[in-house]
Amino acid sequence: MTTGKHTPVKPQDIENLIEIFKQSDWDEMHVQVGDFELFLSNDPNATGPARAAPAGTAPVALTAAAPAAPTAKTSTAHAPVTEAPIPDGMLAIRAPNLGTFYRAPKPGAPPYVEIGQHIDADTEVCLIEVMKLFAPVCAGIKGTVREVRAQDGMMVEFDQILFIVEPAA
Amino acid sequence: MAISRVLSVNRGEIAARVVRAAQALGIEAVQAVSVADRDSLAARLADRCVVLGPAPSRLSYLDPKLLVHTALATGCDALHPGYGFLSERAALASLCDEHGITFVGPRAETIAALGDKLEAKAIARAAGVPLVPGTDRIADVASAQAAAEELGYPVLIKASAGGGGRGMFIARTPEDIAAGFDKASNEAREAFGDDTMYMERYVENARHVEVQVFGDGQGRVVHFGERDCSIQRRYQKVFEEAPCAAMPNALRAQLHRAAVALVASLNYRNAGTVEFLYDVDRQAIYFIEVNARIQVEHPVSEQITGYDLVQLQFRIAAGEPLALTQAQIPLRGHAIEVRLNAEDPYHDFRPSPGRIAHWAPPRGAGIRVDSHCYDGYLVPPFYDSMIGKLIVTAANREACVERLRAALDRCEIGGLTTNLPLLRYIARHPDFVHNHLNTRWLEKTGLPAFGAQQE
Repeated sequence: MTTGKHTPVKPQDIENLIEIFKQSDWDEMHVQVGDFELFLSNDPNATGPARAAPAGTAPVALTAAAPAAPTAKTSTAHAPVTEAPIPDGMLAIRAPNLGTFYRAPKPGAPPYVEIGQHIDADTEVCLIEVMKLFAPVCAGIKGTVREVRAQDGMMVEFDQILFIVEPAA
Repeated sequence: MAISRVLSVNRGEIAARVVRAAQALGIEAVQAVSVADRDSLAARLADRCVVLGPAPSRLSYLDPKLLVHTALATGCDALHPGYGFLSERAALASLCDEHGITFVGPRAETIAALGDKLEAKAIARAAGVPLVPGTDRIADVASAQAAAEELGYPVLIKASAGGGGRGMFIARTPEDIAAGFDKASNEAREAFGDDTMYMERYVENARHVEVQVFGDGQGRVVHFGERDCSIQRRYQKVFEEAPCAAMPNALRAQLHRAAVALVASLNYRNAGTVEFLYDVDRQAIYFIEVNARIQVEHPVSEQITGYDLVQLQFRIAAGEPLALTQAQIPLRGHAIEVRLNAEDPYHDFRPSPGRIAHWAPPRGAGIRVDSHCYDGYLVPPFYDSMIGKLIVTAANREACVERLRAALDRCEIGGLTTNLPLLRYIARHPDFVHNHLNTRWLEKTGLPAFGAQQE
């Protein structure tokens, strides 16, 4: 596993990916983002990902935001939030935990980001507040903001989609 | 009901239990979950479910601010902590108080006082509740022998600064003290830089008994009888019964009085459990600690009294006075609870999370199953391994043991490894059947015999 200096993958993302894998019934997982590569396997003799994956065992690529993966295998009937799907070719910025969503650093100030604005992985896009503790959220993605899904001043849940971003080519 | 919407902030079977109890009282239930529990039974039963954070507890169930924020943001006016996690963290109770959320449990200051072991002992002593007899500092062999004569052998001699068994030994005779005292105090000086020694009566043949109590915080306190939880592995209870059939009535009455006196001295509010060591050889009871919450094993007390203790928690929290007198709480019949765990009893109890392919617990008269599992449920690897509790009730212990054996035989859980083989083995062991048990029985006798049977 190598981590390049411009990859948007943070240690927390890796932890999350490992958890997703542990929770799943998959045999192995292969993730590649830029020059970041992660291979997980239940096989103690595994040496690495199969480069020419046979049909049906395609590696899971992190093309969409990672936490979206487990929802595919859990029933959606009781999913707490019913979300509109992510449009093709777009990526989502999701809430890191439950809290109150704020688009601006303080009341009356301009929002961190507007629709159509270009963002980098380290651009702060909003605040999530828990009991007066305001934590900025970084985009984690390079691209252009296309939608703001969460409502200013309202509660968002963990993993809820906050923004839809069109990734930079 | 002065509570209209409650946030349930625990998981597993107790979360489902809390949601159902609330709904039965006309209280709306919001279930807070980690992402790993969004498909849990409590999440399905609740009127609303919200996802707090990722799977690790410290980012979800163990964050007091996140829980109270969630309660406020979802319009809840109460919060039920369940057991474990933050249930006995005074900080959560006081944070609820500060924000006008009713904490379904004892007052924050009660939780804090009882959570400090030394303070809890001082409270017990002041209420006239017996503690394990012991001494202050002992200077030398001669004074140790004199003190042991007074306490009665065997005695446990310990380093005041001690821990991990260092500077500690059991003495059964004055000769044992002569042989061990200087060595132990030297060991204590080397290990802890302090050779202060003291002595306690050593209880060789102990049962773990505990009394279920309830107070309304307005001066009234009642008990719901005692439970015997002597079958333990590494201080984890495996079997729990009510009543403690091995205890004579006169001592039982003393036990109940002691528990009530202790919590009455605190003007206790809500559910609690006063734990004691029952010294079978000396026919004495000694205070251990108070658990300021509802406990895993509360159903056995419900079974022999006929009360729903979680509903009672909500009533007390809503400010209703305790309308019960002790005479209205009959102790009838016998109940046994066993804990079903997703763990491998043949391989050092290693956890075995996974998907439950087949969930068919027994049903029938006198059988109750408290669980959050169902066909296809994925037992996540992040939390404890309990997947449910089987509770059987009958007119007396003998019939109850019989019913337990039959129920365990009919219990079918497929897809993951469970401790069912061990539970079945214990339920048939003559020592269990004849109630010849103590807190060391499972580790010293039960488990070695279970292991040998496999070879």
